[in-house]
Amino acid sequence: MKSNREIAIYVLDALKKAGADHAQCVVSTGKTDEFNVDGGQFSLMRSLFNSAVVMKALKNGKKGVITANRLDSEAIDKAVQDCIAAAESSVADEAEAIAEKVKNDEFTTGVLTPDKDKFFDRVQEYMDDVRRDYPKIVIEQFISKYTYTEQVFMNTNGVEFKNTSGKYDISSMFSAHEGEVASSFNGYGAEFTSLESKLIDLGLQRTLFAESEKQLYTKPVNGKFVGKLLITPACLAEIISIAFENFISDGTIIDGTSPWISMLGKAVAPETLTISLCPLDPAVACGERFTSDGYRSENMDVIKNGVLNSFLLSNYGSRKTGYPRALNLSSNLFVKPGDTSLKQLIASVDRGILINRFSGGQPGTNGDFSGVAKNSFLIENGEITDAISETMINGNLSDLFKQLIGISSETVCDGVTVLPWMLFDGVTITGK
Amino acid sequence: MLKDRITYHKGLFREHTELRAQVNTRRAVTLLGGNLVANSRSDDSGVSARVYKNGVYGFASAAEYSDESIKAVLDAAQENALFMDSRVCKNKPALPSVGTGSFSLIADVKDIEQKTYIEFAKGVDAYIASKYPNLASRTVAVRSDSMEKLLTVSDGYNSHSLLPRSFVYIFLTAQAKDGGTVELYQPFGGYGYFSDVFTTPEALFSGIDFLYSELMKKAEGVYNDAGYKDVVMHPDLAGILAHEAVGHTVEADLVLGGSVAAHNLGKQVASELVTMVDFAHTALGQPVPLPIYCDDEGTPAEDAVLIKDGILTGYMNNRETAQHFGMKPQGNARAYLFSDEPLIRMRNTAILPGKDKLEDMIAAIDDGYYLTMTNNGQADTTGEFMFGVCMGYEIKNGKLGRAIRDTTISGVAFEMLKTVDMLSDSLIWSCSGFCGKKQPMPVGMGGPAVKCKVNMGGR
Repeated sequence: MKSNREIAIYVLDALKKAGADHAQCVVSTGKTDEFNVDGGQFSLMRSLFNSAVVMKALKNGKKGVITANRLDSEAIDKAVQDCIAAAESSVADEAEAIAEKVKNDEFTTGVLTPDKDKFFDRVQEYMDDVRRDYPKIVIEQFISKYTYTEQVFMNTNGVEFKNTSGKYDISSMFSAHEGEVASSFNGYGAEFTSLESKLIDLGLQRTLFAESEKQLYTKPVNGKFVGKLLITPACLAEIISIAFENFISDGTIIDGTSPWISMLGKAVAPETLTISLCPLDPAVACGERFTSDGYRSENMDVIKNGVLNSFLLSNYGSRKTGYPRALNLSSNLFVKPGDTSLKQLIASVDRGILINRFSGGQPGTNGDFSGVAKNSFLIENGEITDAISETMINGNLSDLFKQLIGISSETVCDGVTVLPWMLFDGVTITGK
Repeated sequence: MLKDRITYHKGLFREHTELRAQVNTRRAVTLLGGNLVANSRSDDSGVSARVYKNGVYGFASAAEYSDESIKAVLDAAQENALFMDSRVCKNKPALPSVGTGSFSLIADVKDIEQKTYIEFAKGVDAYIASKYPNLASRTVAVRSDSMEKLLTVSDGYNSHSLLPRSFVYIFLTAQAKDGGTVELYQPFGGYGYFSDVFTTPEALFSGIDFLYSELMKKAEGVYNDAGYKDVVMHPDLAGILAHEAVGHTVEADLVLGGSVAAHNLGKQVASELVTMVDFAHTALGQPVPLPIYCDDEGTPAEDAVLIKDGILTGYMNNRETAQHFGMKPQGNARAYLFSDEPLIRMRNTAILPGKDKLEDMIAAIDDGYYLTMTNNGQADTTGEFMFGVCMGYEIKNGKLGRAIRDTTISGVAFEMLKTVDMLSDSLIWSCSGFCGKKQPMPVGMGGPAVKCKVNMGGR
């Protein structure tokens, strides 16, 4: 069997011979071993022998992209033909390009040899820990897996990166039950490279289990009011990601509909807010080392001291708009902690809610959002009171950033993000 | 078309085993403001095996489709089943038989050239650009996917199946009267390869004109009043209600996880007007959007009646949960990729139509809303649901009023369904997008217009 590098060389050579002016490809192979729990019981062990090739060809400024998972010669030859045919049928665009030559590099991240028996023991221990410490919690589904990946990026400009990585990850879906009463489900995920710690101690899980047990008996918020929103680290990544997708990513910057289109270098939030994307941070399990465009990944500040520092543009988006490309394309969000404790933040809320999960419609380009506050609590006069249900929140994401009034000093790391609790004002909260 | 290399290996089965070869194709073309920002083709193919041993499964998959690879996958699945059995020791009995037989492919496998998608998208985009130059943004996205499966099982039905879908999504953005932007999108298409579903771009023009006229009304629209409201839901919302708010809670694996349906079997959960069915391949004498004849555990597919005249009557099962609940498996175990294990999934889930006319339903509301388009939906295992509503109208004194801006509706399914007091006499299906549950899955959903009460978010 050929190595990934040999396959990548073959692909680029075949694309050039078939008429490509420029080409790039990513070849990856690996294996995933996965244990599944369903309805609180072990149900399945799954092993996947993974392989994939993604190739891109440019011919006369026209692009074709093919993804396939077979790496034999017959499959690759067909993929090459399809890629060229797709490019020839495409629309010429001067913004299409491949990465320029830089110093090539190889990376190794994470743990490359899994310990299957110890991992299974940790999962079994996790189930026992949940049953003992949170007796009302039912683990509806728990997926635990180890993934080993070897990936090679090459292009016809001579760029060549190789990354070998191995990591564990878990994702859970759970709810609390007492007789016929059940809480809303919640979910949590974490990535890690060591089995030295108990799985239940990763990230925010214990807090969420304890809170779910308190969410068995809920009340809708009474009426409608404009109040404060305390977003937990479990919910914050989704809120920030939606805002970034809507305001600073390729789509709305290219078509010019982003409300932040003219905000580069200007304040979009109070100066207490710094949001970064940090795939190289040691807290991240096997972060991105090179982008899908073929650039070496670097950590970057997206918002620094409240000022919008960068859009999150691909190489194409950058060349299309003239703005700089993002220094990485990861989802490793880091928010700089504040100097107020979570307890102080809660104490500062006269009326509002603590939100653990947002179940809402996809906000429009203008940032208007509307959805249900799930797994959430009412905060009144500085104290968390009732668990709530059937309560909706409404606002505008761009306004929300300006209405930031507090960031906790505590942060939570889940191996993908490092996030604090953030407090916002001016959100419409509607109950029954 | 997949060659049968798997039946030959049935002799190697040592336990209850499913062996599946599969090819998934996805084609994507996206024009954003006339720029071709996506032009891709994706093929995922391979073989997988799943082995059942005393209450646990072992599974393995590989991309290579050869005798050597099939043997390796069978061995790995067997090894995984033995590992789990040795560590878990459930000692459950064998799965009951579902009979034996086979289903053959009923359609031809096709591979459409990328040029076809691109030229079609360019034709649609040119129409929008020339006719509606005042738009703030326009996107034309062509998506086509297919799933071909070859299944052989140690006990059950062997099958060869094909499920192709093709869609053109139109996204339009306009400046609103308050200086911001408003958006609408509409999928066109359905079951079949692109050339089966679409003829010329012109066939979409009237639909695009309607979408644009709705967008202009939305641009002049108002924010709705928040609170508990009388509404008429368009069938598109009824379909997502059936799927998200009720369907997921009656998937037997989620019932075992403690969904609200666990304690409501045989109880009144909806108005007597409401009957809800997960159809296999035919509904009310017509083909459903995504017909399934046999699932990926080798169970022949038949309709699953979930709610009958307001009473919760059943769950959707795989063979293992059917054994647990003492029910009959009806073909709901479906896998997305070759590398995915079958999960309990919906197929074509619908609330059945009633006898009312839409205009009478609107006329019956003094102060409420007619909700016509949704952009997503989510639901809880408690039955609490949320749908994004991206188009709708006020109803004042029985007549449609001003358009409304984006909003969200929510409720608790088994409470909200008891408020249903009128159902229109038409059933409308949709089958675009994917249902998400560990794996994505194409599903159909449908219903009539529904008059009921829901919570509406708002400023």
